[in-house]
Amino acid sequence: EKHLVLLRDGRTLIGYLRSIDQFANLVLHQTVERIHVGKKYGDIPRGIFVVRGENVVLLGEIDLEKESDTPLQQVSIEEILEEQRVELQAKQESEKLKVQALKARGLSVPRADTLDEY
Amino acid sequence: MAEGGEPVILEDFLLAEDAPLLEMAEEDEELDLYNEMTFGLDQYPMEDTPKLLVPPKMSPEMAEVVAEETEAGEEPGPEVAEQLEELGEPLEEGGTELEQVGSELEEEEEELETEEQDDEQEPCEEPNDLGDPAVMRAVQSKPTLESQDSAVLDSRIGSCWAEFGKEGMLAMDPVMWGSCPGSVPPHRMLEEDKAILQVLERPPPSTNMALDFLGSSIQRGYGGSPRLKRPDLRLMSPKSFPQRFLQQTAGYTSPVPFQPGSPTVGSPPQSLAMHFGPMSPSLDPALLFSPSASSQLNLSTPSHMTQLHPQHQRILTQRQQQGRQVQSVSPKKQWSPKVDPHAGLMTSKEKDWVIKVEMIQLQSENMDDDYYYQWYYHRLERRQAEEELMGGRNKVEPLKLVTPFIQKVETYDSVVRIAGSLGQVAVSTCYSPRRAIDAVHHALVEEVGSHRLRALHRIEKLFLQLLEVEEAERKVSLALGKEQQPCEQEQQSQEVDSIYQALKIRVCSSEEEAEDEFLQLLCVRKGKKLVARLLPHLTREQGEKTLLTITHHLPFLMKKDVLDESLPLLYSPLNEVVGRMTFSKLIKVLQELTQPLSESSELPLAMALKNQFGISLLYSLLSHGERLLSSDVPLEPRSGDFEAWTDTVYLVARELSQVPKASLVEPLFLPSNLLSLFCRYLDKQTVHHLEAKMECSPLASEAAMLC
Repeated sequence: EKHLVLLRDGRTLIGYLRSIDQFANLVLHQTVERIHVGKKYGDIPRGIFVVRGENVVLLGEIDLEKESDTPLQQVSIEEILEEQRVELQAKQESEKLKVQALKARGLSVPRADTLDEY
Repeated sequence: MAEGGEPVILEDFLLAEDAPLLEMAEEDEELDLYNEMTFGLDQYPMEDTPKLLVPPKMSPEMAEVVAEETEAGEEPGPEVAEQLEELGEPLEEGGTELEQVGSELEEEEEELETEEQDDEQEPCEEPNDLGDPAVMRAVQSKPTLESQDSAVLDSRIGSCWAEFGKEGMLAMDPVMWGSCPGSVPPHRMLEEDKAILQVLERPPPSTNMALDFLGSSIQRGYGGSPRLKRPDLRLMSPKSFPQRFLQQTAGYTSPVPFQPGSPTVGSPPQSLAMHFGPMSPSLDPALLFSPSASSQLNLSTPSHMTQLHPQHQRILTQRQQQGRQVQSVSPKKQWSPKVDPHAGLMTSKEKDWVIKVEMIQLQSENMDDDYYYQWYYHRLERRQAEEELMGGRNKVEPLKLVTPFIQKVETYDSVVRIAGSLGQVAVSTCYSPRRAIDAVHHALVEEVGSHRLRALHRIEKLFLQLLEVEEAERKVSLALGKEQQPCEQEQQSQEVDSIYQALKIRVCSSEEEAEDEFLQLLCVRKGKKLVARLLPHLTREQGEKTLLTITHHLPFLMKKDVLDESLPLLYSPLNEVVGRMTFSKLIKVLQELTQPLSESSELPLAMALKNQFGISLLYSLLSHGERLLSSDVPLEPRSGDFEAWTDTVYLVARELSQVPKASLVEPLFLPSNLLSLFCRYLDKQTVHHLEAKMECSPLASEAAMLC
């Protein structure tokens, strides 16, 4: 009964879904936050999570038999955090370049400050 | 604590007994205690104090019960223990109230509990390892709700519901609930509950810990976390059932049998003393459950009452089958051996309720609104059309998700008992607050004297009407090319007309502006929005009349709009109206602006230049006039029109040049033909001057040459 939850801010949580309600508020037990970077992923144990329904993007059940055969490689927490930081930096830089290029051509796209508000 | 607890226990236990007995009991109890302390646990206290714990009839009764339970004739030891354990649990809940269920039962329960503890000889916290099964020793049960709180009338209601409202007991539900506040002995239910009997066939690996759990749970009483619901044991798969007990002792704060009397019970939606969600217990079977025996197996699927999409259903049943096969072949997969102690936090009832709520939300009369619905079926149909083309199959009717028609329960218990309160608390339920609020609002309307409130009320009313009209129109447009019935059109235009009439637009009203209702509406932002939205629906005459009125009262409106600055809302639709006007009409409107006001020396025109909306409107009017003049369309002017027109242009030019640049406001839209208009009537210098003022884009050289 492990479930995978994707949140609006992009986090992936995996845990045992204990309780839900009509707003899709979730109670997750023994939750693990999984960070994916490229082909690697890292798990951070978080304990109990109570998620407010409006922040849930999707929720799915994990097939425990299939859980183990993923092409992804698990790495340690430090490593994955490092990878994530690097990735984020790279993204920011490319974004900056893009914005500059656009400005040069006379288009100014307002940068979304929060990822999920559209 | 155990010893200290004993007097308490016995008191409870003896609640049902007569007073004299109680006194005697207490005395003897103390003796007993003393004996115990001196000599260690006395195995046969009963011999000393026959009256103490139990009326003598208990022994045969208990024997009876034991006999009943061991009908299979198997070894009484672990079986009975387990059965007793089973019994013990529901009995605890059913038996928290010692009075009503019948003293016999309680005592049975106590005995059985003691018996099992006897068997186990666990180093329980309580000194009750008594070798003799015949020995009755009261086990510390939870203090009765009734005993503790005199206000509680019947603490069994909630517990009954919790206890018996399991899917496993569907068939009996109506009976059960009917008789709940009655006398149906819980243990009989157990017999009838097939799920439990199945469990009993498999002797658990070790009952020690399991029973310890039970014992300890008893002790905790109120201390335990009352909020934790007892896991839905009956619905767990039989195999894991004893194991879960194992686990539960391990690290689990005791899943105290849910106590309806717990003080925290008032609020949570899972409170059983009150309804669970909008349902009432007595209605549950009717609504949610279909008499289906297969419900017990629906562990992973949501309740049988929910209709899943057929494909989803298929996947789930496949998975179930696979799971079952796997189970039979090999022992459970990696995670299962350690059965989850925290699982089953939500009872199936709760799950069903959530699903029900969501299903209700899905239901709507107006399917056109539902984007997802539309899109999904669009895609489905497209795919099927493709398939049809490719495979040449017979057209398969697209499977539709049928949401079960769950009627929203609008009934409620007339007598709601809240545990922990003194007597009956005043409780009321409201299922559609919006309706209630609107009803109140309606009632209040007549009394309201304030202009503003009345205006607001009118706006709301008219807005609703307008929304309906727009809704109808949208539906028509969505009807995929279907021709609108003439009668529908008629109806719609009638609606629009009625709204228009309600607005009471009076041109050139002699009344005070404060009295004019239409203007009052316009002073409110929403009123402006209303008019703006309505304008496209109006006929040409109606639109023009509106424009005329607005222009006539423009200074007033502009003054009122200083804070709000919402007049520009009206610009766009009025622009449309202007664009369709004839020349004469245009002149009429312009004359409104050029007529001097009585109060001030300033022309409305001048004032308009200082207001964004005003100047935009002015420009729009002039631009349209210019357009008409420069086009080849015959204008059919009335006499004096052209003079008025030229006069107006001159006036505008004069005002524009006089107005200091600072106070000249930028319009919402600057028409390009204004300069050419000025060119026609004015000299070059002036035009340039105006051009600078208006910050127009420089004229094309050709036009410049003309000037």
